[in-house]
Amino acid sequence: MRKQGFFLAAAVAAALSATCLPVQAQDIGIGLIVPLSPPGDPTGGQLIRRGAEMGIDAVNNAGGVLGGRKFKLYVEDSQGKPEAGVAAYRRLVSEDKVVFVPGFFHSSVAIAANEVAKDMGVPTMSLQASAAEITSKHYETAFRTHAVDQVRVATFMELIKKKGFKRISMIAETTDYGIGIADETIAQAKKVGGLEVQKIAFDRSVTDLTPQLLQVKAFKPDLVINIGVGQPCDLIIDQATTIGLLPNTPMIVSYDAPARPQFWKLHEKNGAGIYFIAYYSPKTPLSDIGKSFAAAYTEKYKEDPVYGALNGYGAIQIIAQAINAAKSTDSKALIKTLETGTFKSWPDAPVTFPRAEGVYWHNWVPPVLILHYTKPMQDWKDAEVEVQYSAPAAK
Amino acid sequence: MFSTELVVQTFISGVMIGVLYALMALGITFIYSIMRMINWAMGEFYMIGSYLQYMLVAFLLGPDLWWLAIPISAAGVFAFGLVVQWGLIKPIFKKPPEARDDYATVVTLALLLLLRSLATGLAGPNQFTPGSNLPIVMVGPMPMAGARVAAFVFALVALALFYGVLRYSWYGLALRATSQSRVGVQTAGIDVLGIDRVAFGIGVALAGLAGALLAPVFLVFPTNGLITTVKGFEIVVIGGLGSIPGALIAGILLGLIESFGAAFIDSAYQNIYGFALVLLILAFKPTGLFGERGREA
Repeated sequence: MRKQGFFLAAAVAAALSATCLPVQAQDIGIGLIVPLSPPGDPTGGQLIRRGAEMGIDAVNNAGGVLGGRKFKLYVEDSQGKPEAGVAAYRRLVSEDKVVFVPGFFHSSVAIAANEVAKDMGVPTMSLQASAAEITSKHYETAFRTHAVDQVRVATFMELIKKKGFKRISMIAETTDYGIGIADETIAQAKKVGGLEVQKIAFDRSVTDLTPQLLQVKAFKPDLVINIGVGQPCDLIIDQATTIGLLPNTPMIVSYDAPARPQFWKLHEKNGAGIYFIAYYSPKTPLSDIGKSFAAAYTEKYKEDPVYGALNGYGAIQIIAQAINAAKSTDSKALIKTLETGTFKSWPDAPVTFPRAEGVYWHNWVPPVLILHYTKPMQDWKDAEVEVQYSAPAAK
Repeated sequence: MFSTELVVQTFISGVMIGVLYALMALGITFIYSIMRMINWAMGEFYMIGSYLQYMLVAFLLGPDLWWLAIPISAAGVFAFGLVVQWGLIKPIFKKPPEARDDYATVVTLALLLLLRSLATGLAGPNQFTPGSNLPIVMVGPMPMAGARVAAFVFALVALALFYGVLRYSWYGLALRATSQSRVGVQTAGIDVLGIDRVAFGIGVALAGLAGALLAPVFLVFPTNGLITTVKGFEIVVIGGLGSIPGALIAGILLGLIESFGAAFIDSAYQNIYGFALVLLILAFKPTGLFGERGREA
């Protein structure tokens, strides 16, 4: 009994001493939810993680936030699965006590996590998930620094107009991302008029996409839109080449996977001619923050940073600025500060998160580009910029 | 829309993927027929075969000697299978616990998670391809990757070889006898644990062979064995557990139903068509097309 009393007293003393620690000495937890293993796109997740880790180091080396408190990063693997993303968010908020959760590569993961975040209160920032639903629901806790479906598809349309394409075939995975983009393309094609559009959907777990691609080929399209993420995107390129669809018919990849160093390792023989969406090219003007990050990244990883890494780094910088401006890590104070303030990130443009209409709610959209590989093994820095599209100003 | 050419192309595509599915399933059904246990980590042996093929072609032999890398990869998986059987499976069979099947399930599921995590840890989560120098070839009206045609031919040869050894060699006789009665072969003086070891090695080597053959077609990454396991079990249910001809026919059937379903019904539900066939078979012939009803004393 005496022993139990001693342990109880010791536990109370330890708890009291922990709560009495000076605030400055406590780390501030930042969560990061990204896909680090299949069936998600682990390369995409890894690039965001690299940027976020360097962002944490940069903030801490500059003295931290709120007069000396350091950031501590807690990384969780979503595997590209909504349920894993939700579990990760709950763990980060309940156990690690993080104050902000950036990341989110896959739209379905971001959508699912946001449903929990709206109740738990800790804000999220989607860095490479583009489904409209992420911000169109106008949740207080949902922020994004990425292109939305509408902007991505409007960029497709610019290319379609420029090249005079009339028959468009989409091969899209059955996820929020894939179906969201495919449906938006059909809607915008109707508005443009004079376009015939085919939509072929596939389950992400399918590895043999020959039956789907045979239908695409039979449609005789002028342009194929590849709406697969990660491994399906690469399989579509390979299997389309096999059945003779590529290189005869132009193909556009719906995100910036071809900008990654891995692309030419997988598509040495069939990568030339591919168009792809990008949100950054080395021709894009960078802010001072962006320039110093790009230099440090190149030195550390011996390759140029791509968008995912820049956005991972930028998110941490934005969160640090918001905490300093709010003088607090309280979720409501942070949300208010983000909604009303102007922040600096990697692009040479101010970043804001206004309570705007529609999908532009809490959403800063980078300019979207379409790059074109005109030669085999071409460095993505030398890829031709076919289209540069900026989202209309948010209302 | 439904042109004859598209129908023929879909048929060819279905048959070719079906034979490869059959190779994936054969290991599962073979191990079950001898050892009466299900190896849930079969897809991970497929994954190891694909990584071995990638490493051999990319770093040692070069793309011209891809064909040499295939038997080496399969042999590597066979050797690894022997070690796994000796270290993890044999103890269960040597002094069988009361719930041997449950132990085997837990052990192979743990192995699945271990191997998958190890692959991610050692090689990273990215995709790789060993590449292929084989040209695109026409199979009837259907252009196909040389690597896929080679995989199809290799798979047919492997299936024929496997069937021949099983049917016409002394060792095949011993394996078939073990599948009929483990006690019976022990009374004839055959080392049944030795048979188990070789059977497990051959079973996982078949999965490794499929992994090596399909590495340039379906890419190499830590979870590429997942689909193998799923399709493998679908085929085992359709063809009948323990039936080798059943595995081949069910593989082709599954390939065809998926291809035609995706091409002419709705491509979004390609995986569902196989499961619908599984449900149909379970409803009307629960032992599978070629499975035998178990006898109880």
